[in-house]
Amino acid sequence: MMGGETMITLSDYLILSAIVFCIGLAGIFINRTNIITLLMCVELMLAAVNTNFIAFSYFMGDQAGQIFVFFVLTVAAAEVAIGLGILTLVFRNKGSINIDVTNNLRG
Amino acid sequence: MEFEQILFYVFSFWLIASSLAMVFSRNTAFSALFLILSFFSTASLWLLLEAEFLAITLILVYVGAVMVLFLFVIKMLDINDSTLRAKFTRYLPIGIGVAVVIIGEMSLVLGSSQFGLAEVSEPIRHAADYSNITELAKELYTTYVYPFELAAVLLLIAIISAITLIHRVDSRAKKQSITEQVNTRAEDRVRLVSISSPNDGRRNNDNS
Amino acid sequence: MTMENIYLTIALSPLIGAMIAGFFGGILGRKVTHTIAIVGVLISTALSFYVFDTHVLNNGDIFNKNIYTWMQIGSLNVSVGFLIDNLTSVMLVVVSFVSLMVHIYTIGYMDDDNGYTKFFSYISLFTFAMFMLIMSNNFMQLFFGWEAVGLVSYLLIGFWHHKESAVEANLKAFLVNRVGDFGFLLGIALVLMYFGSLDYIEVFSDLSVINGVDIFDQVSVITTICILLFIGAMGKSAQVPLHVWLPGSMEGPTPISALIHAATMVTAGIFMVSRMSPMFELSDVALTVVMLIGAITALFMGLLGIVQNDIKRVVAYSTLSQLGYMTVALGVSAYSVAIFHLMTHAFFKALLFLAAGSVIVAMHHEQDIRNMGGLYKKMPITYATSLIGTLALIGFPGFSGFYSKDMIIEAVHYSSLPYTDLVYYAVVVGVFITAFYSLRMFFIVFHGESRVDKHTEEHLKESTSSITFPLIALAIPSVVIGYITIEPMLFAGWLDNAIMVSPRHSSMSELSSEFHGAASMISHALQTVPFWMMVAGIVSAWLFSIYKTAWADSIKKRFHRIYYILDSLYGFDRFNEIVFVNGVKKLGNLLWKVSDMGLIDSIVVNGSAKMVRFFGSVVRPIQTGYVYHYAFLMIFSLLIILTWVLFAGNSPQLKIDF
Repeated sequence: MMGGETMITLSDYLILSAIVFCIGLAGIFINRTNIITLLMCVELMLAAVNTNFIAFSYFMGDQAGQIFVFFVLTVAAAEVAIGLGILTLVFRNKGSINIDVTNNLRG
Repeated sequence: MEFEQILFYVFSFWLIASSLAMVFSRNTAFSALFLILSFFSTASLWLLLEAEFLAITLILVYVGAVMVLFLFVIKMLDINDSTLRAKFTRYLPIGIGVAVVIIGEMSLVLGSSQFGLAEVSEPIRHAADYSNITELAKELYTTYVYPFELAAVLLLIAIISAITLIHRVDSRAKKQSITEQVNTRAEDRVRLVSISSPNDGRRNNDNS
Repeated sequence: MTMENIYLTIALSPLIGAMIAGFFGGILGRKVTHTIAIVGVLISTALSFYVFDTHVLNNGDIFNKNIYTWMQIGSLNVSVGFLIDNLTSVMLVVVSFVSLMVHIYTIGYMDDDNGYTKFFSYISLFTFAMFMLIMSNNFMQLFFGWEAVGLVSYLLIGFWHHKESAVEANLKAFLVNRVGDFGFLLGIALVLMYFGSLDYIEVFSDLSVINGVDIFDQVSVITTICILLFIGAMGKSAQVPLHVWLPGSMEGPTPISALIHAATMVTAGIFMVSRMSPMFELSDVALTVVMLIGAITALFMGLLGIVQNDIKRVVAYSTLSQLGYMTVALGVSAYSVAIFHLMTHAFFKALLFLAAGSVIVAMHHEQDIRNMGGLYKKMPITYATSLIGTLALIGFPGFSGFYSKDMIIEAVHYSSLPYTDLVYYAVVVGVFITAFYSLRMFFIVFHGESRVDKHTEEHLKESTSSITFPLIALAIPSVVIGYITIEPMLFAGWLDNAIMVSPRHSSMSELSSEFHGAASMISHALQTVPFWMMVAGIVSAWLFSIYKTAWADSIKKRFHRIYYILDSLYGFDRFNEIVFVNGVKKLGNLLWKVSDMGLIDSIVVNGSAKMVRFFGSVVRPIQTGYVYHYAFLMIFSLLIILTWVLFAGNSPQLKIDF
């Protein structure tokens, strides 16, 4: 096997997940369209973080990272379910899922 | 270049491209589909990182269930796309600016000087019969069994809360109230009345 | 019983009488109530005579003891205590005797009044307060008695509270008294500050402490203290300019005019200055002030008595004038003369007031002397006792007033203070004026043709014995007490253990060297100026009131400007009304509009609320309600923190080698 600079190092994976994370982050406040896009950007961020964990687990040889990803997956699924439920309620009450309709806490 | 590297760059290219497309897409359904593509790319990357079980789980659970749910909701709600695009470009520069700066700083932190080959040694490649799922199970059911159970409870709570949030009581539906049925008393149902019968209870007028 | 118990009984028995009469008067009925009240004062009177006998006649020891410690703050002890020496004994006799006479008089006078038992309760309460004032051995109890007599005076002046003039008068009395009390309190505070104690004996024994001490290096302390204490006396004893309340106090029933505003309460100021004689002797300035104010009061209030037409007001202004005389005596350091005149004045002035009351009652509460006349036929006892009182007042030789008034004039003559010449002329002219107004009133009321209207004249007769008995009982001392007591009191040292006169003020010593006995004073009288002044006054009064009343009218028209000044009482009331009353009202309005509404309400109260609302309105728009704004803020803050931790700050995590 060849070694040296041609291997994919940990930092490559980390930078990749950082990039994807920031894309999701930018997506949250760039798009003003609807709440669903917001939720999807959150999912993207979670995926990036998971990648981070698995990269560490692979390079460090510790399984704890993958276990953690397991749980993150679980929680994310639960969160999406409830989030979409709330979204439905918002649509039911406000008639639209534009983000601007959820400004009840405006000062 | 190694095959691995090629794979890595291809998958990461698709990941970044599809996520950018998702963010900048005009159509919400397209955004969802692009997100599915990013998940596939992510799963492939995880395969490269020898986490097969999690990669498959990602596809099954996330794409198969969660994204389908997303698409359900997108199609169910009437989203008027045209009016929602108005303010998009106003915040574009600053958003991209902040994102780029954060990426730059994180790269500095996560760059090769900290996490490169000199600091983190090469990973151990496992043999072909290496079973990721067995390793995972060994850890999960021994050290982390408690969080496992808690995750199950969490899912239960999520189910209950989702149902509670959405459930609408239809007042026209006729339902049984078991509590009421069980708590009835005899006097609510039966009333004994005494009525005088004609002819003192006899059927005809004669005395026989 | 011990002397201490005697003193306590003297003080407390009128109080008990007052409480029973006040709380149970309605239940017990009139006869029982007045009997109990009179018995209460009678006990005090009898015991006062006994005390007088022990202390003065038999040279008993001075009694000075704290009966009950009210409070002890640090080194200051404030307690209820009695100081019984000869001065106290004399005052006790005077006050208790006059009070007893007034109590008996009230039976007849207030017979047809609904507040009969309440009145008895009040005058007994007053007697208690006056006793506490006289017998006190410290400034605090003195002040308590001072305030208490002021309070009861207020209650009694406004006794007929449905009469608006009475309510206005009692308020005026209380307020003017308050002004005097303010000065009094400041004086007491200064005493406390410089001497550290409120007890008389402790203060008097240590007077050298403040020799030469000055307040702000301008005015000596002792002068300030004395003048402030005298301001209190001015309020209580109605000296100019705090005299305005006394004529108004005539709105109350006549018995209290006799008791409070002739014989006892108004003499509290005189008593207080005599008690403080050790302090006053140290300050010539204060004594001069006292003397001058007394002289002004004596002269100008007497002038006002000439033009009054209400029978009680003539006697009221006469009281003011005589109080001026007493104050002059205090000013020339003749304290015992002042007390002597206080005693004789108490008797004959109370007599004159009660006689006036008898006339009023007989005339069905008519008080204007222009509607009276020729009453001597119908009311012989009142006529005779009034004559005795009037002769005593004007200083007719042999009567008690003669001795005391002449002694005052002589004392002024021998004094070495500045301005004594002016004062001497003032008091001598005052004799003429006194004789003039007293005889004018006497002639108009009792002599001449009757101007009484027909209906009243039919019912006109002498008053009941409960009214005439006190008149007779008071007439006797008016005649004889001067003759009997002048030598012992002034010159044989009756009051020596209470009053201190410094050797610099030589009036008393010169007087005693000139004194040749009471009888020789009478024979010597024809050679003195005051005697002829008095005669001139009698003659002029007869001329203007009986002989040719038309002359009085023509003089009134000729000197109408002077008449106007006198009639408006020198404008004191108008001045007070314009300057003080209106001034305070305007100040109140100003404070209300500007300070209260403009400053406090608008700026502080409303302003702070507006400020809070303003800040709120500035800060509130930060909460836009949009999730992405919040998210952006979070991310931006994250960026800042990241930059800070990595590059800037105390320990940057990342070292960049450029």
